[in-house]
Amino acid sequence: MSDPIPAVQARSLSKHYGEGNTYVLALKEATFQIHPGEVVALLGPSGSGKSTLLTILGLINPPDTGWLQVGGVEVIRDGAVVGDANLIRRRNLGFVFQRSNLIPFLTAEENVRLVLELDDVPRREAVRRAREILESLGVADRARHLPMQLSGGQQQRVAIARALIHEPSLLLADEPTASLDKELGRRVMELLRTAAIERGAAVLVVTHDHRALDLVDRIFEIEDGVLDTEGAKLRGATR
Amino acid sequence: MNLSLRDVRHDFSRFLLTAVGLGLLLTVVLAMTGIYNGIIKDATALPDSLGADLWIVQRDTRGPFAELSRVSSDLEERARAVPGVARARSYVSHTIQRQLPNGRPLRFTAVGLSWPDDLGGGLPIVRGRPLAQPHYECLVDSSLGLSLGQRIPLGRDVYTVVGITDGLLASGGDPSAFFTLSDAQRIQNDVSNEAIRLDREARSARVRQSALGRDPELVRFSGKNAQLIPALGPLPVSAVMLNIDPGVPLDTVQARLQGWQDITVYSQAEEHGLILGGVVEKTRLQIGLFRGLLVVISAILMGLIIYTMTVDKIHSIALLKLLGARMTVILGMILEEALLLGGIAYVLAVIIGNFAFDIFPRRVVIENEHRLALLGIVIAISIASSAIGMKKALAADPNEVLAA
Ligand SMILES: Nc1ncnc2c1ncn2[C@@H]1O[C@H](COP(=O)(O)OP(=O)(O)OP(=O)(O)O)[C@@H](O)[C@H]1O
Ligand SMILES: [Mg+2]
Repeated sequence: MSDPIPAVQARSLSKHYGEGNTYVLALKEATFQIHPGEVVALLGPSGSGKSTLLTILGLINPPDTGWLQVGGVEVIRDGAVVGDANLIRRRNLGFVFQRSNLIPFLTAEENVRLVLELDDVPRREAVRRAREILESLGVADRARHLPMQLSGGQQQRVAIARALIHEPSLLLADEPTASLDKELGRRVMELLRTAAIERGAAVLVVTHDHRALDLVDRIFEIEDGVLDTEGAKLRGATR
Repeated sequence: MNLSLRDVRHDFSRFLLTAVGLGLLLTVVLAMTGIYNGIIKDATALPDSLGADLWIVQRDTRGPFAELSRVSSDLEERARAVPGVARARSYVSHTIQRQLPNGRPLRFTAVGLSWPDDLGGGLPIVRGRPLAQPHYECLVDSSLGLSLGQRIPLGRDVYTVVGITDGLLASGGDPSAFFTLSDAQRIQNDVSNEAIRLDREARSARVRQSALGRDPELVRFSGKNAQLIPALGPLPVSAVMLNIDPGVPLDTVQARLQGWQDITVYSQAEEHGLILGGVVEKTRLQIGLFRGLLVVISAILMGLIIYTMTVDKIHSIALLKLLGARMTVILGMILEEALLLGGIAYVLAVIIGNFAFDIFPRRVVIENEHRLALLGIVIAISIASSAIGMKKALAADPNEVLAA
């Protein structure tokens, strides 16, 4: 946490859904920051607002109000995206989901280097970097396989490679190990952590798996849209 | 990285099957175009090959192709005397259906050419030679299936095939056969001996009953060959074809002839109009309508296919959006796939057409301009149908990826 510029800085992010009877305040005034290489777990019961926060940070859904800076660049001001959301996603954000992360008609290597090629990185360099990161995640031998030819754990490792190859400031992961068994889930979390730290990305990972919490630096807890960035209670219990 | 090629390759057999299906549909569109052109070409092939500038027909008729026309045979001489007329030829035609001795039916349009002015040398003769004798020779179209030297009995005479023409059908789609004018008239007016005898007897009876019957010479004459009777005169012809001296304006000659009260004059272009606007109009419109319908069906089908292909990869599209892909990358992928599909289908249609159209019973005429027109239509359909897919892609929500 020595780096003076946080990878992510959020202030007063709020989001509601619906009107009248269906009104839900899904996120209330969330304020926090995460540093490069820092891994943060986001815990909370179902419907507490975890995905809502992730989609706001991923510029998928805009918040009602609030301010957000990613990689030192202001991306949300007064609840509105500033600049080209696509460009920010291509350069500064990485995503890993529960499953179906990969494009089925592209090989593992193509899925990974796609991110670079979408940002006009030359093919040769993209191939080289894709091989490199697949190697570091232990799936280099599956580079030419299509997603359906890979096991669940291999798919998630390729997805992590895809999410980190462009060295984003922020990696957003929504229960990346939920479809894997416990051992494998833990192994994938370890790889995610190592790869993120190597590339200096801040990680916000939604998880229900309390047994993997020893692999994270900090814990955010959320309940009814209220974010508690101390997560003191849980931390004490698990470590 | 080309996404569309990779997507297509991923389920190539399905893509290929779709392309083949669409290709066959386009083959039918092309066939319809060809048949449409063939109808026009067939209907105008005969008048075109006769190479007349003006057609003189019976007053107020639309003959000789669209309806029956009868003009007197001395019209040829009268027309020849008009200044600016270089050549005048009589024309007769009638369709007959007979049987060869071996029982094969023989249906054709017998056309009479002015002997010795027109020997059929201007016709597209592919084998044999033009007419060389004033009688008992004929030229037949290859579609009739007769061979050179074959002898065909018609009426009380036997005619020898001396030449074979190609692609000369009459407006009804029947093959043409060419005879000298008098032979054609003979075939047309052939009646049995008994009918002739009865006819002559009736004629003599009519003469005897009238004041003319007091002249014994006239009574004797009335029982003879009709051609020899001065009062009956020669048989009429269908029309007279004129060729105009080079340098003389067609309109001038036509206007002058138009003044004659017993006839109507059409230019070659007007004859075309009469044939296309009358004889084959319904068939032409029918085929044209069918062709239009098939183009619409192809467009709808292709739209559905592209839409389905887009829906099938909507998750990937949402993922691409999430990865920050430019909209042009996503829309380009859909457009490329549509163009690829249309392109393969088009190439298939052209290739299949090249082989299949020769075995069609009717003439199929496909020129490069028609292939180009179809290409234009295919590209337009591809773009239009990819627009349907693009609309779906634009609506794809990255949230769907999170929900999955
Ligand atoms: N599109 C939406 N329209 C209306 N309400 C929504 C929508 N998305 C989420 N909500 C509501 O907002 C609240 C927060 O939902 P969110 O999806 O962020 O929860 P979550 O913590 O991700 O839950 P889970 O662990 O089940 O994934 C819930 O009450 C949910 O019903
Ligand atoms: Mg959720």
